[in-house]
Amino acid sequence: MVVYNFKKIQQVPTASDFVDVVLSKTQRGTPTVIHAGYSINRIRSFYMRKVKFTQTNYAEKIALILTDFPRLDDIHPFYADLLNILYDRDHYKLALGQLSLAKKLIDTVGRDYVKMLKYGDSLFRCKALKRAALGRMCTIIKRNKAGLAYLEQVRQHMSRLPSIDPNTRTILVAGFPNVGKSSFMNKVTRANVEVQPYAFTTKSLYVGHMDYKYMRWQVIDTPGVLDKPLEERNTIEMQSITALAHLRCTVLYVLDISEQCGYSLAQQTALFKSIQPLFANKPLLVAVNKTDVRSMDDLRPDEVELIEFIRSTGATVLPMSTFSEQGVADVKGAACDMLLRERVEQKMGTKKVEDVLNRIHVATVRPRDARERAPAIPASVRAAREARAMDAEGGDDGGVLPKRKTLRDLQEEEGGAGVFSFPYQNYWDLKTDEWKFDVIPEIMDGKNIADFVDPEIEAKLEALEAEEDRLIELAELEGVAEPMDDDDAATHELAERIRHKKRLIVNKHRDDKGGNRPIVPRSKVIRPERTVEGLKRHLASVGVRTGDDDLQNLRKRGRSTSPRRGLSASRGDAEEAAARTGSKKPKSELTPDERKAAKLVRSHSKVAIRGESKSASRPRSRSVAGLRDESMVRSADKLLKKQQRQRNLHGKVGESDRVITMKKEKWMLTGKRGIGKTDRR
Amino acid sequence: MCSRVQFEHSNEVGVFAKLTNRYCLVGVGGSENFYSAFEAELGGHIPIVHTSIAGTRIIGRMCAGNKNGLVVPTSTTDQELLHLRNALPEGVVIQRVEERLSALGNVIACNDHVAFVHSDLDRETEEIVADVLGVEVFRQTIAGNVLVGSYCSLSNQGALVHPKTPIEDQDELAQLLQVPIVAGTVNRGSDVIGAGMVVNDWAAFCGADTTATEVQVIESVFKLGEAQGSAVATTMRDVLIDQLA
Repeated sequence: MVVYNFKKIQQVPTASDFVDVVLSKTQRGTPTVIHAGYSINRIRSFYMRKVKFTQTNYAEKIALILTDFPRLDDIHPFYADLLNILYDRDHYKLALGQLSLAKKLIDTVGRDYVKMLKYGDSLFRCKALKRAALGRMCTIIKRNKAGLAYLEQVRQHMSRLPSIDPNTRTILVAGFPNVGKSSFMNKVTRANVEVQPYAFTTKSLYVGHMDYKYMRWQVIDTPGVLDKPLEERNTIEMQSITALAHLRCTVLYVLDISEQCGYSLAQQTALFKSIQPLFANKPLLVAVNKTDVRSMDDLRPDEVELIEFIRSTGATVLPMSTFSEQGVADVKGAACDMLLRERVEQKMGTKKVEDVLNRIHVATVRPRDARERAPAIPASVRAAREARAMDAEGGDDGGVLPKRKTLRDLQEEEGGAGVFSFPYQNYWDLKTDEWKFDVIPEIMDGKNIADFVDPEIEAKLEALEAEEDRLIELAELEGVAEPMDDDDAATHELAERIRHKKRLIVNKHRDDKGGNRPIVPRSKVIRPERTVEGLKRHLASVGVRTGDDDLQNLRKRGRSTSPRRGLSASRGDAEEAAARTGSKKPKSELTPDERKAAKLVRSHSKVAIRGESKSASRPRSRSVAGLRDESMVRSADKLLKKQQRQRNLHGKVGESDRVITMKKEKWMLTGKRGIGKTDRR
Repeated sequence: MCSRVQFEHSNEVGVFAKLTNRYCLVGVGGSENFYSAFEAELGGHIPIVHTSIAGTRIIGRMCAGNKNGLVVPTSTTDQELLHLRNALPEGVVIQRVEERLSALGNVIACNDHVAFVHSDLDRETEEIVADVLGVEVFRQTIAGNVLVGSYCSLSNQGALVHPKTPIEDQDELAQLLQVPIVAGTVNRGSDVIGAGMVVNDWAAFCGADTTATEVQVIESVFKLGEAQGSAVATTMRDVLIDQLA
């Protein structure tokens, strides 16, 4: 929904202020130091910047004004008409139009001079061009002096317009001057409109709000209207006519029955007749005011006829007196009800109403069983209600029920929120009040007391004990269970041992598995020494018998993997190998053949051992990692070659072929020599 | 009587209070203003107890209860349980329940006879609710929302549900509850009814933003003032159509 608020329009500066503001902004917003010695490009751009800056500033400011002011074609017709009456539509549009033209002109000037500045050949010429540009822009604004002044006036007036919502529930009070429209307004709302005993006290529209049926209602007080042709009406009257013409509302036409306003009932009826077209399609209520001066029964026959005529047009006629307040509430109620009915009728059947139909539905109940589901209102509440009702009936002398002293009152007495504290034990509903502040520990002997609190603990304990006794008796009656035979006993024992072992393993595993425990430095960990005897014992315990030969092997292996390095070991081994070939002679006594054989063995073993003799910290080649010995390396090599043979035969690309996955720019590769040259790969 | 109250500038009264016909729980706040709003209305009739549940002030969303009992989530501390046990009247059963959906106030909506529960609530919890609160339990949704406790407010005299509840659903719920149901809002158009207000059979409290029309709807459906239960469909019909449509 559009909210009409004209208070937000920014102030419109006068022409001279406008110029001052923009020029000083240019001065502050652009660089100010330039020398003739600078390069001409720098000088040009210095002045171009000034011109452009001024131009955009002007454009922004004008655009702000143009967007702030409402466009008469876009707003609600009521406001459009009201603005037309108050400020003259043509004048208003012209002022805004001229301003928009000024904006366009300034843009052109800016553009032209920037273009010319491109050809400025000296500091002086450039400066002269800038002066000319700024001067022309300011002249354009100065020419709009009158328009700007007018717009400022309009803005000031608009910001004081009542904020009438054209779409909400509205009651419009209309009638001759001085018939009591504003008095009615003051009675039903708190608008506090000025009331004076002379005509045209109210010179513009006034808005007040009231509550009726839990809703907000807008009451609009209009200036009085005289009975004359439309063209002759003045601005004040035209505001009333505009409101009557455009707002969807209940029209409350006020008649002065006492004729104290200076117009006879006949004249007032004539006005009613002449502005009747404006009441079309609106609920119409005629309030006959000032019945305290002259009642409806005192009317002369011709006046009764006038009232009857008004009735015949379909209007509801109600008497009221704003002085004695008689009938005011009735009039208000009737007016609101009429409008509400009208609005609901219009809305019925629309999509929006269908959406809220479920909210005006009360789902009623058919009993589904015989059970009664009664409300549970305590007797004290009923008693208090009755007492309150009695109190209200009793009136003034009935005496007011004593006001309960609340915790908040206590809080204020004790120093206010934040200072006041209140022990919540006070609420406790215990057998004796002394118990309230007994200190109960939360934790006792490392146990949470609450875990043990159980009102029926005694009974449960007794029941448990009784059950236990019963079970014991039962066991005694059945006698001792039949004795187990040997087989069973052995199986049981074995099973028990297995379980025990299992538990140990699980526990060990749990201990080893990280968790929340201190980390012992490796050096401090006491490990059982690994010995061959230990291993043997362990193997024996798990049921593997180890002979002496195995022991020998183990010893040897233990020694061969111990950190001995260098050729001495390999030599030793080589000699051992040579020994294995059968020759037990010293080296010098060997035959050439034997020597050759020994050498072969040695050279082979050297290859094998060299790999192993490297320091453990140096990583082994990945191609031999995981291969046990040289024969395994060789067979792996053979396999590889066999596998690649087919691929090589067909000249296919293998994974070891050099590949450039991404072609990079030359500069990214300069100086990099893959296999190519210094400057390119 | 329907009163407008605020808890430390929050309108979500149902979050910070739990009202039943036999007791009223109120969250611990910085000042006693909220508490005293309840005290002024209910004082002398039922105990009004400051409490926290699981160390929080959002007690209305954490627990569910009626005149027969109170169920609290498993996160309630032993001290809170002790305090509640000592403060609530004899005959009100307090039970801690192990439930994954621990905001019990959001998943259980009940009056003294019937309870609606979240469709994913544990079967055990459902049984506990039936036993402790002495109610018939129905798994229901309200306008497609599973958080039944958040989107409706029940008393033994009426019920207010989510504003988008279709008429057929309202009729079904009314049939289960055996009280008249109206769809409406609190706190100037908020649809979280359960969080926005608390009600029992003779008093209601809603957020300070609640409009006059909303208050009138509440008073009529819960039969708190002179207004009849059917007022929403009769005397207030025009007003509601004009305001809502």
